[in-house]
Amino acid sequence: MNDIIFKIGGAFLTAILAFTVGMFYAGLRRKITARVQNRVGPPIYQNFLDLLKLQSKRTNVAHGFMGHMAPIWIIIAAMTVLMFIPILQNNLWFENLTLKGDLIFLLYMMVFGSLGMALGAGQTGNPNSAIGVSRGLSQMVGFEIPFVMALVALMLQFKTTSIADLMHFQFTSGHWIILENPFAFLAALLSSLGMFRYSPFDIVGAPAELASGPMSEFGGKYLGTMMTGGAVFAFIKLVLFVDLFLGGAGNNSVEGIMGTGLGLLELLLKTFLFYMIPVFVGLVSPRYRTEQAIQFFWKWPSVFGILAILWALYKNGTLL
Amino acid sequence: MEMLSSLLLIFLIGAITTYFVDSINRKFTGIIAFLFVLLGSLFFYSNIHIGDVFVFQLGGIEMQWGINDYSYYFSYIVLGLGVLALLYSIKYIEGKARQGYFYASFLLTILGMIGVIISQDFVSLFIFWEIMTWASFLLVIYNAYYKVKTKGIKYMIFSAIGAYAMLTAIVFIKEHYNTLLIGEAIERGAFNFQQYRYIPIFLLLGFGIKAAVMPFHVWAPAAYSKSPMSFTTIFSGAMSKMGIFGIGLVLSTFYLQHNPENFYWVKLALGWLGGITAVMGTLYALIQVDAKKLLAYSSIAQLGYIVVGLSTGTKLGVMAALYLAVLHAIFKGALFMVAGAVERQVGTTDMTKVSGLIRRMPWTFFVALVSIIALAGIPPLGGFVGKWLLYEALITESNNYFLVIVIFFSSTAAFLYSYRFLFGLFLGQEEKETEHVKEAPISMLIPMLILGIGSIIIGSFPGLIFEPAAKAMQAIGFKDVTWQMSLLSNIWGNTTHLFLISMLIFSVFIIAFLFLTLKGLKKTRYVGTKEISTSGELPKEWENFTFQHNFFKPFERAASPLYHLNMNRIWKDLGKNTEAFFGFFRKLYTGNGQTYALYVIIFLVLLLLFKDVIFS
Amino acid sequence: MSEKNTIGIPTVEEIKQAQIDFSPRCTAAGRVNDKETQKMVDYILNFARKHSLFVLAYGTGCGAIEIPATMTSRYDAERFGIRGAATPRQADILMITGYLSTKTLKRVIRVYEQMQDPKYVIAFGSCTINGGMYFDSYNTIKALDRYLPVDVYIAGCMPRPESVIRGFVKLQELIQKGNAGNGECYRENLDWYRENQQKVIKNWDFPENYNW
Repeated sequence: MNDIIFKIGGAFLTAILAFTVGMFYAGLRRKITARVQNRVGPPIYQNFLDLLKLQSKRTNVAHGFMGHMAPIWIIIAAMTVLMFIPILQNNLWFENLTLKGDLIFLLYMMVFGSLGMALGAGQTGNPNSAIGVSRGLSQMVGFEIPFVMALVALMLQFKTTSIADLMHFQFTSGHWIILENPFAFLAALLSSLGMFRYSPFDIVGAPAELASGPMSEFGGKYLGTMMTGGAVFAFIKLVLFVDLFLGGAGNNSVEGIMGTGLGLLELLLKTFLFYMIPVFVGLVSPRYRTEQAIQFFWKWPSVFGILAILWALYKNGTLL
Repeated sequence: MEMLSSLLLIFLIGAITTYFVDSINRKFTGIIAFLFVLLGSLFFYSNIHIGDVFVFQLGGIEMQWGINDYSYYFSYIVLGLGVLALLYSIKYIEGKARQGYFYASFLLTILGMIGVIISQDFVSLFIFWEIMTWASFLLVIYNAYYKVKTKGIKYMIFSAIGAYAMLTAIVFIKEHYNTLLIGEAIERGAFNFQQYRYIPIFLLLGFGIKAAVMPFHVWAPAAYSKSPMSFTTIFSGAMSKMGIFGIGLVLSTFYLQHNPENFYWVKLALGWLGGITAVMGTLYALIQVDAKKLLAYSSIAQLGYIVVGLSTGTKLGVMAALYLAVLHAIFKGALFMVAGAVERQVGTTDMTKVSGLIRRMPWTFFVALVSIIALAGIPPLGGFVGKWLLYEALITESNNYFLVIVIFFSSTAAFLYSYRFLFGLFLGQEEKETEHVKEAPISMLIPMLILGIGSIIIGSFPGLIFEPAAKAMQAIGFKDVTWQMSLLSNIWGNTTHLFLISMLIFSVFIIAFLFLTLKGLKKTRYVGTKEISTSGELPKEWENFTFQHNFFKPFERAASPLYHLNMNRIWKDLGKNTEAFFGFFRKLYTGNGQTYALYVIIFLVLLLLFKDVIFS
Repeated sequence: MSEKNTIGIPTVEEIKQAQIDFSPRCTAAGRVNDKETQKMVDYILNFARKHSLFVLAYGTGCGAIEIPATMTSRYDAERFGIRGAATPRQADILMITGYLSTKTLKRVIRVYEQMQDPKYVIAFGSCTINGGMYFDSYNTIKALDRYLPVDVYIAGCMPRPESVIRGFVKLQELIQKGNAGNGECYRENLDWYRENQQKVIKNWDFPENYNW
C-alpha cells in the first residue's frame, strides 16, 4: 500500500517539478535574453501568466480530429518520458518507472510528441505549418545522428543500455562521464543545440519566415497545452544530459527530506548551467537555413560522435 | 501424409476453377478465389502438423516435402496475408478486366509460396520458386497488358538472374555433395563458406534478389507500384519474405556448425548490404510523389533491416529479423491496402493531386496512422519492438557498431516519408475535387482493420510473435531461445516493459484527451481547412495551399551527395557498355559474302601457319 | 422642419439619427464581464490577461515603424508582458497601425474574426480616429469603430513609443476592470457591423455561413 502511495505521489511530484522548473527556465531565458539586449525584460514568472491567459481564452478553434489531438501527443510523450527518466539517485519519491525502460525506448519516445504534433499541424491545412514540419523533421535527422553516436558510445563503454545504470556507475565510481568520454559529451552537447531549437537552429518556428510554423493555427487551450508539454520537455532534456554526463543528482549521504532538498538543489544547479549553453549560443547567433543546419550536425558533431565510439572501444579494450 | 500434396491441389484447383468461372459469371470469381484460399488455410492449420514429411520419386529424383517450425512460421505470413489480401481483392478488382487471369495468377502465387516453404529438396524448391516468380510476373504486368516491355522487363530479368544463380548453386551442390535434400546439404556443410564458397554466394544471390537487397533492388519499386495494390500487399508482404526465408536457411549453417568468427566478412558484407539497402530505400522513398512508389521504396528499406538482423547471427538479431518479417507483412500489407483503397476511391495516389482525405475516409486514415506509427517504430505499437531488438542486437551482441548508426540514420529518415505518406494523402487542405469521395467498401476495410489492430496488440504483447519465432529459431539451430510476453530484455540485463508503457500512454492519453476536449467544449469550434490565417486573405474555393511539391527539398539538398548514388543508372550503364562491347563483334558480320570468304581464307592461312603449334 | 431641404443639407433630426446610427455599438466600456465586484477567479484571470498580451501588429500604414522601437531595447514593451504574435490564432491584441484603406479593411476584418476571445483592438494614430490627414481620401476609412470594436485609441500622428506604451497600460487597466474585449459584443451586433463593412467594401465575398 505504502508503495503505491509513493508511486502515485512520486509521479505527481515529478510532473509538478518538471512543469514548474521548465516554465521558470523558459522565463529565465526570456529575462536573460532581455538583460543581454540591455532591456528590463519580463518577470521570470511571465510564462505562467502566458499559460494562464492561454488556458483562459473563452473560444478555441480546432481544425478537425488530428488538430485537436496535436497537443495530446506532446503531453503523452512528455509525461511518458518523464516517468522513465531518473530525476534523483536513490530517492523513493522520484523513482517512478526508471528501471522499466532503456535509452532506445527513450530515444523513440522523445520523437513521439514531435510526430504527433506534426500530424496535427498537417491537418490545419496551413502551408506554413507543413513547411515548418518539413524543416523540423529534416533537422531531426540531422541532430539525432551525433546524439545517437554519443549514446552508442556510452552504451559500449559501460555495457548497459539503461540510463539508471549509467547514473549508478557515476555515483559509485565518482567519475562523471563527461571526463570518462569527453567526445561523447561534445557530440551530445552540439546536438543538444538542435534539440532545444534555439538560434541558430530555430528554423522550425522561425516567426519572421513561417509565422511560428507548425503552431500557426493553434491558439488558446491548444497552444497552452503545447507550452506545458514544451516546458516539461525542456526539463526532460536537461535532466537527461545531467544524468548522462554530469553525474546526475542526489548523490549525497544526507537522510530524509533534507537529502531530497539538497539533491534537488544540485539538480537545479547542474541543469541551469547546462541550459545556459544553448541559451547563450542562441543569443549570439542568427538563423541557419535548413540544409545548413542539417549539414552542421553531419560535420563536426558526427566526427566527435565517431571519436566517442572509438574512445569507448579503446577504453573497453576492444579496439583493434 | 498426402495432406501436403492435397493442400497444393486445393490451390491448383482453385486457380483453374476461378479462371473458368470468370468466363461464365464474373460476379463470383473473387468470392470463389477467396473461399479457396480460406479453405486452403483452414486445411493447412487443421490437418498439417509440424514434422509431417511427404517423400516421393519423380523421374528418378527423390522429392521431399515437409514442414518444420521454421516453415510453419513463414506460413503465417503467406496464408494469413493471403486470406486478407483476397478478401480485399474482391471489391478492389471489381469491374476490372481479366479477373480470371488475376485470381488464377494470385492463387498460383500463393501455391508457389506455400510450395517454397514446404520444399525440403532443391528440385522442388526451384520448381515452386519458378511457379511463384512466373505467376507474380503475370500479375506485375496485369495493369500493363500491352506494355509488358516497359513495366515488367526489369522484374523479369532480375528474376531470371536469380533463378540461374540458384540453379547453378543446386547443380554444384549435387556435384560436390551428392545430395539434393536441403537438410542433408546443410549437414554436409554445403553452405559454409569454407570449401566451395560460390555455392552459398550463388544461393544468397538468388534469394537476395527476391528480398530486394541492395544492388539487385532496382526491379522492386516499379514492380511493387505497378502491380495491382491488392497483390502488392502479398508481393511485398509475403513474397519478399521468401527471400528472407532462403537467406535464413543459408545462414543457418552459420548458426548450426562451424565457428562463424572465421567468416566474419560474410556477416559484415551482408550486414552492410542490408544497411545500405535500408538507407538508400529510405532516401529514395522520401523524395517520391506517388504514394505507391513511396511504399515500394519503403519496403526495400524495411527488408534491409531484416537482412541486417539476419546477418548478425545472434539470437536477438535473428529474433529481430523474424519478428520484423511478420510485422512488415502486417503493417506494409495494411499500408498497401490503404494505398489501394485511396486509388480505388479517388482514382490516383499522386500526393501532389490528392490531399485532405481524412474526413472522407476516416477508417482508412485510422489504419494508415496505426500502420505508419508501427512502421516508424514509435512506441507503443509493434514496430518499436522490432527496432529495439535490432538495435540491441547490434549494440550488445554484434561488433558492428557503425552499422547501428547507419540503421539509425535510416530509421530516423523514415519518419520523414512516414509523415509524407500521411500528410500527402490524408492531411492538408481538403480539395473540391475530392468532395464526392466516400469511404472504402466494408470488405476492403475489414482486412485493413484486422491488420491495423494486429499491430496495436502486438505492440503490447510481442510474445504472440516471439513464441512461434523462437520455435522457428530452434528449428534452424539456435539453442535456448528465451522470450517473454510483453517484456524485452538484452544480454546485459536491461529491460523494457511494453505492457506497462502501453498502459501509461493509454492513461495519460485518457486524462489529456478528457481535459482538452471537455475544457470549453461548447466554445470550441471545429472549422474547415480553408479557415486558416493567410494574412487575412480569403482563400478561394479553387485555391489549394497544401504544400506538396518538393516536400523535403531542404533535406534533399543537405543529403545531395547520397542521392548521386543511383543503382538504376549503374545497371543501365552496365547494360549499355555490354551492348557496345558486343556491338563491336556484330561489326564482323558485314553481310558481304566477300568478307566471309576472306575470313575463311584468313582462318585457313592461320591454321597452316600455326599447324605445328596446334597439332603437335 | 419637416420638409426636406432642396440642396441636400441634412435636417437636425437626420443628423441626430445619423449620430445614433453611426455611434459605435461596442465601446471600451464594454459589456463583457462587466461586474461591480469580480470573483477571485476573474481577478486572477484578468491579472494574467493583462500581463500577457500577444500583439498582432497589423502594419497597415506608416505607424508600423513605431512598433519595432516600442518592442526593442530602448522602450522594451516586453517588461509589461507584451510580445509579438505570429498569427491571429495566437494573438490577443489586434493593433491597427495607421490609416486603413478599404482594401486592407477586408483583411483586417477577417484577421479580427480569426482571433479568439477575449480579444482587444488598439487603434493607433489619428487616421483610425477620424481619418487624420486622409480625412478626405476616397479609399481610406475614417472611423475604425464603425467596422470593428475598438478598446483603446492612441492619438497622435504618429504617436511616439511612450504614448504607445501609455495606450497599452490603459488597456491593461481596462482588462483588470473587466471592461475590455468586445468579441461577444461584436458577434451580437454583427448585422450592424456587417452593414457598415459592406458599405465601404465593394467586392464583399465572405461566405454566407462563415464559421469564425
